[in-house]
Amino acid sequence: MSGFALTGWGMAVPDQVRTSVELADHFGVDEDWIVSRCGIRERRIVAPGETTASLAVLAGRRALEKAGLTGADIAHLIVATATPEQPSPATSAFVHHELDIAGSAHDVNAECSGFVYGLMTAAAWMALDPRPVLVIGSDTHSLTVDPDDRDLSILVGDGAGAVVLTPTPATWLRSWNLGADGACTGSLKVPAGGSRMPTTEQTVRDGLHFARIKGNEIYLNAVRFSVRSIRETLASGKREAGEIDHFVPHQANIRIINSIMSHTGLPPERLITNLERFGNTASASVPIALTEALDAGRISDGDRVLLAGFGAGMTWGSMLLDWGGVTR
Amino acid sequence: MEIPTVEDLATQLQAVSGAKVVDADAALQRIADVDSLDLMEWLYGFQEQYPHIPADESLFKDMDETTTLRTVHGRILALVPQQV
Repeated sequence: MSGFALTGWGMAVPDQVRTSVELADHFGVDEDWIVSRCGIRERRIVAPGETTASLAVLAGRRALEKAGLTGADIAHLIVATATPEQPSPATSAFVHHELDIAGSAHDVNAECSGFVYGLMTAAAWMALDPRPVLVIGSDTHSLTVDPDDRDLSILVGDGAGAVVLTPTPATWLRSWNLGADGACTGSLKVPAGGSRMPTTEQTVRDGLHFARIKGNEIYLNAVRFSVRSIRETLASGKREAGEIDHFVPHQANIRIINSIMSHTGLPPERLITNLERFGNTASASVPIALTEALDAGRISDGDRVLLAGFGAGMTWGSMLLDWGGVTR
Repeated sequence: MEIPTVEDLATQLQAVSGAKVVDADAALQRIADVDSLDLMEWLYGFQEQYPHIPADESLFKDMDETTTLRTVHGRILALVPQQV
């Protein structure tokens, strides 16, 4: 069995900024209300011509450069997204073409847990086939939100983050946990556009292609499932919360993140967050936060890094990494 | 079976929200420094502390200007299985 090392990372966000001041004006509230509600002061929003795939390509290219590889070296590409380039084919096909990937490609849709699911998929893949894998999380949820929906508009931003995994005899992945509860499909959804409710003029008129959220349900379940997942990952990794050097959660809402940290005992100073500047970028939020932390030199070999995601469905996952790997 | 009093609920909500005062007879929507996410945070803690009481977010269903913490406490009591 082969392990993996994270040897490349990169991110891409649109230039266009949407501030909480602008949204406060639109919704007739104070900026402070938005910030106290979710911790977000601004988010990046795609302009015409920018897409889920175009952001993914930029992030992926930067991750490849960092790893000193090209698309020709990649045996498999995984793109985690819930806002695909188009219904068919997969977003990964577009990215595969632009990056000249030599190997195979597929998408993962686990909503905001997508990157963690994608990374676990890559880890399993590399145990079978120890060649480099590129994992990208990319989402453009600003395009799925009703501009008059305050609950979602204040949260979402667009972006992409990517990592390159290369084979190594050392072990980086110490422990992990993934889970799902399909009883929660109504908490956050885009009702129309699939086989359950195909697109018609009526679904468009009724706004059924916009995302809809039951914020209270999402809050409760995000906290409940994330706390459970992190506790299991820490227990199976034989680590205490206080031993974690860096916690990189899905950047959903600072209130949810703070609650998860409080209930798991993760020290507040170990949190890596950029929520204030980028908002909730869904599948991209973990790799974007990770990339910023790595580029800032905050993470060093020997550090214990805990990744955690949760998303609609619901889905959740956490991974404990021994950065730099451990030789056993 | 342990059942919290309405005063217990007020103390718990004050702790999670940081509100200076939580009056059990004030409209929940009017209590300064308490918002719906504070109520969910309180509910999560409540569910952890009292797993035998099947409370969920429906405690706050149809919340309006007349809904107080005492209202919520009444709903909780209605959820508790009758003692024989």
